[in-house]
Amino acid sequence: MSTPATQTATIQYEDKTVRQFMFFSVLWGLVGMLVGVICATQLSWWQMNGKFLEALTFGAVQADGISYLTFGRLRPLHTNAVIFAFVGNMMFAGIYYSTQRLCKTRTASDLLSKIHMWGWQLIIVSAAVSLPAGLTRGKEYAELIWPINIAVALIWVVFAINFFWTLAKRNEPSIYVALWFYIATIVTVAMLYIVNHLSLPTSLTHSYPIFGGLQDALVQWWYGHNAVAFFLTTPILGIMYYYLPKAANRPVYSYRLSIIHFWSLVFIYIWAGPHHLLNTSLPRWLQMLGMLFSLMLWAPSWGGMLNGLLTLRGAWNKLRTDPVIKFFAAGVTFYGMATFEGPLLSIRAVNQLSHYTDWTIGHVHSGALGWNGFMAAGMFYWLAPRLWKTKLWSTALANMHFWIGLVGILLYVAAMWTAGVMQGLMLGEVAEGGTTLKYDFVETLKAIQPQYILRSLGGTLFLVGFVLCAVNLWKTARSGQPHDEEVEVAVPVKAHDSMTLKETLINDPVAYCILGCFTLCLWFFLPPHANIAALVVTVLLAIKAVHGFKTRGTKWIDWHERLLHNYLPFTLLVFIAVAIGGAVQIIPSLIVNREENVEGRLQELYTPLELAGRDIYVSEGCYNCHSQMIRMLKPDVMRYSRQGETDDFSHLGESLFDHPFQWGSKRTGPDLAREGGDIVDGAKYMRSGMRDNVWHYNHFMNPRQTSEGSNMPAYPWLFEQKTDLKALPKKIAVQQKLGVPYPAMNQHDIIGKAEFQAREIADDLAAKKVLQPAGLEMGEEEFAGYLADRKVVALIAYMQKLGTYRIQEKDGPPEGQPLDPDSYRELTEKTEALRKGETAQATE
Amino acid sequence: MSDDPSEPEVKRGAFAKKKGEVILREHEYDGIQEFDQKLPNWWLFTFYIAIVWFVAYWVIYYHTDAYRTDSQKITEMMETIQTEKKAALAEALASLTDKALIEEWATDPAKVSAGETTYMQTCTACHGTGLDAKMGDIPLSGRPLNDGEWHYGKAPTEIFKMINNGTPEGGAGYNGVPMIAKGGGMLTTQQVAELTAFLIAKNPDDFAGATFDDQGMLIE
Repeated sequence: MSTPATQTATIQYEDKTVRQFMFFSVLWGLVGMLVGVICATQLSWWQMNGKFLEALTFGAVQADGISYLTFGRLRPLHTNAVIFAFVGNMMFAGIYYSTQRLCKTRTASDLLSKIHMWGWQLIIVSAAVSLPAGLTRGKEYAELIWPINIAVALIWVVFAINFFWTLAKRNEPSIYVALWFYIATIVTVAMLYIVNHLSLPTSLTHSYPIFGGLQDALVQWWYGHNAVAFFLTTPILGIMYYYLPKAANRPVYSYRLSIIHFWSLVFIYIWAGPHHLLNTSLPRWLQMLGMLFSLMLWAPSWGGMLNGLLTLRGAWNKLRTDPVIKFFAAGVTFYGMATFEGPLLSIRAVNQLSHYTDWTIGHVHSGALGWNGFMAAGMFYWLAPRLWKTKLWSTALANMHFWIGLVGILLYVAAMWTAGVMQGLMLGEVAEGGTTLKYDFVETLKAIQPQYILRSLGGTLFLVGFVLCAVNLWKTARSGQPHDEEVEVAVPVKAHDSMTLKETLINDPVAYCILGCFTLCLWFFLPPHANIAALVVTVLLAIKAVHGFKTRGTKWIDWHERLLHNYLPFTLLVFIAVAIGGAVQIIPSLIVNREENVEGRLQELYTPLELAGRDIYVSEGCYNCHSQMIRMLKPDVMRYSRQGETDDFSHLGESLFDHPFQWGSKRTGPDLAREGGDIVDGAKYMRSGMRDNVWHYNHFMNPRQTSEGSNMPAYPWLFEQKTDLKALPKKIAVQQKLGVPYPAMNQHDIIGKAEFQAREIADDLAAKKVLQPAGLEMGEEEFAGYLADRKVVALIAYMQKLGTYRIQEKDGPPEGQPLDPDSYRELTEKTEALRKGETAQATE
Repeated sequence: MSDDPSEPEVKRGAFAKKKGEVILREHEYDGIQEFDQKLPNWWLFTFYIAIVWFVAYWVIYYHTDAYRTDSQKITEMMETIQTEKKAALAEALASLTDKALIEEWATDPAKVSAGETTYMQTCTACHGTGLDAKMGDIPLSGRPLNDGEWHYGKAPTEIFKMINNGTPEGGAGYNGVPMIAKGGGMLTTQQVAELTAFLIAKNPDDFAGATFDDQGMLIE
């Protein structure tokens, strides 16, 4: 559709912001990858958690571990730096450059660009300071504390205003596929980020998420998975759609594939989150949706790969000469590989083996290094000569970067695959006779050490490649001058952006989609029989829709063409498409999975000291290596559940009041769900579980003393720093507001209880003459007084509480719970006979 | 960007559509053109099959009894294991006597050294590598196993039961810390017996000159 132009205008693009974003992307990329390499070595050598400084400083620094450098704190720094700082800045550079050109207009506001650019860097710096300091929300990729969350949301809004304002001012009536993906990114990330960061502050640096237990898990992975989808995938797909055809100088392969894969991708992606929680105590229907939508996601993802790779048809010869094409071709290939592996890992049976192992880590890195890292490099090499009006300083160096990086990725991914599969198999291997497990956890950890070392090597190679990239870009920039392109553009007569709300929503394609989603939900949630009817209606609707498309397809296509001339209606439909999945999964769970509906195990509330210990556990990032979730699988139950019990997997009620949930996503150490135990005879609060206080004390001081071969860091500072008991009243007040059924307690009660329990544990430890921290030589009484204040005691209190519960009985036969498909299933299956029996009795 | 002369079949817009040829869309975005190729069939079928599988799997799980729930499956599996374990233990106990443990197991270097390996992995955190319940000078939380005292009975079958079952139900344990049962989940019956043999071999004085009754049980 061409639009007559009445006049032309000369505009200058604003590319300074692009250059700045690019600079910071490279800078933070270097930092983030370096931190990644350090984290990788920490898994092989515990000394990398701070002890190595003794050697580096010739003994000036003396420590078994430095809190700021431990894995639990650095790993969040690595993930946040790579996702939000490296890819974030890269995405902004790519979006700011291409949006101006695709809209044939200068970015709407230089001031907003500036605020966005510098605001984002400020957020990154504050993250880099707060994460190593142990300030965290304890949710993966959502660790940043609440004041920074607010800053992120505000800067994102600035970005959104700037972007949509630019769209509003565009001189190109129709919006190109790259912009569709940018729109989806901005809208969806805002939605995900805000919902997953809802929390109530207890202080300036600490807050509790408003969701708890399985709901927190559900919301977290709805966010976490879609951070991958809408922060690491959709914006980069948009970037691919602009830069790849530009670099290859070839038309995009298929416009209709763009349409189909865009809409199916943004709609389906959102539903896939629960595949991070397969075989856990998350309700089965949510697991089913997570797995099945992940499988349906395969084709839409590959649609993007096809459109990327097939655009290169006729340009493959450039692979030999142009590093940009090399990086893009490899990047898109890795995207295809990762998006095939993803659905594979989402199959419950495969996930049994892969989950909690390094296979997942390998999977994300084939995406992060292969797709994000290489797409970024390709884009930078293409942009730099244009932004500084020069040519690339060294093609040879860029080629070298490519090969070093590629070898690095392959080493990394292969090492993690073998480590994950091998450890997964070892953990499930039974000894002769089949009633006990063959390997101790630590034996499986030792077995994958060679792979861990290879992984560090692979990561280092990738980093070296990226250093070459930085040098090349720097030299390129120095060889030219900052250049803001000036072009003459045709200003069209404004016929675009005129679609009404009615036109947007009332039409065949939208009606079929909305109705289809509605009947689909009826199928999920209606009671038996009615749900089958809903399924039949859904299928009939689908058939009618296909028929409608066959007969009146041109109308649909014209409507979509017109939609592309109207950015706000387009945005509205994108929002509807991405909002549905989360709403259908989260809202029913919030209504159904509540305390009063839990039958069986219900979590014992933490005492004030245990809560303080829990906050230390979260702050030290223990969840990065330890899960608290015994899945309903033989290897898990055999390894972690209490002896002699047959149903001692983690039940949904056991973590219902956990804000945030701590189910974990990776087991570098064993699961901790059954560490705790009963109150010790004669004690008021003190408990003792699987292991006694002394064991935990020694373990935190030197993990290798109690578990030979462990790679866990030592935590000497827990024996020095004091527990912040004063913060407890406020924390408990916030927990009460969040619905944790604490009884009314005043400040005096809370602190008194905490001090009493701390003293019980400290007395126990001192009486058993535990080793005092270096430099202390106290009598028993004095030492008990010293220990009672220390963090280690609070943390031990928490460990001894893990997995304790009471039983909540329910009277009467089970009932179907609206919005809970599993309850209806049980109803039909197990209670049919029971109900019949009761009716028979009643009639007598 | 102009049409690539090497591809004469590339036709624009409506003309190509009429001819049934690959369409190059007329509109350009900042010089980027788009073909409008048909969707690859294999790709479409991948998508369709995934959608059909979604419906089929849900129907099979929620509308038929073909699958059991996770909790049913795992509970059953664990019940089978428990039964097998109990049977294995009963069988072992039937053939294990104090005499056999002292005179056969504890004198077999292979069994003792297997027991030592297990001990080093499982027991040292509380009982120490030297069986003295100490690490250097620091006391650990378990009882010493080299002081001639056998709190729960000196008979090797008693020691076996102690390791296998942990501190007896209701027992306060040493220092108020009950020992967790090591048999079953962590160690096989064989391993517990080897461990017992290792402890006997490490305390030769306690078991020298032991006398046994007809059943091969220790007479104290």
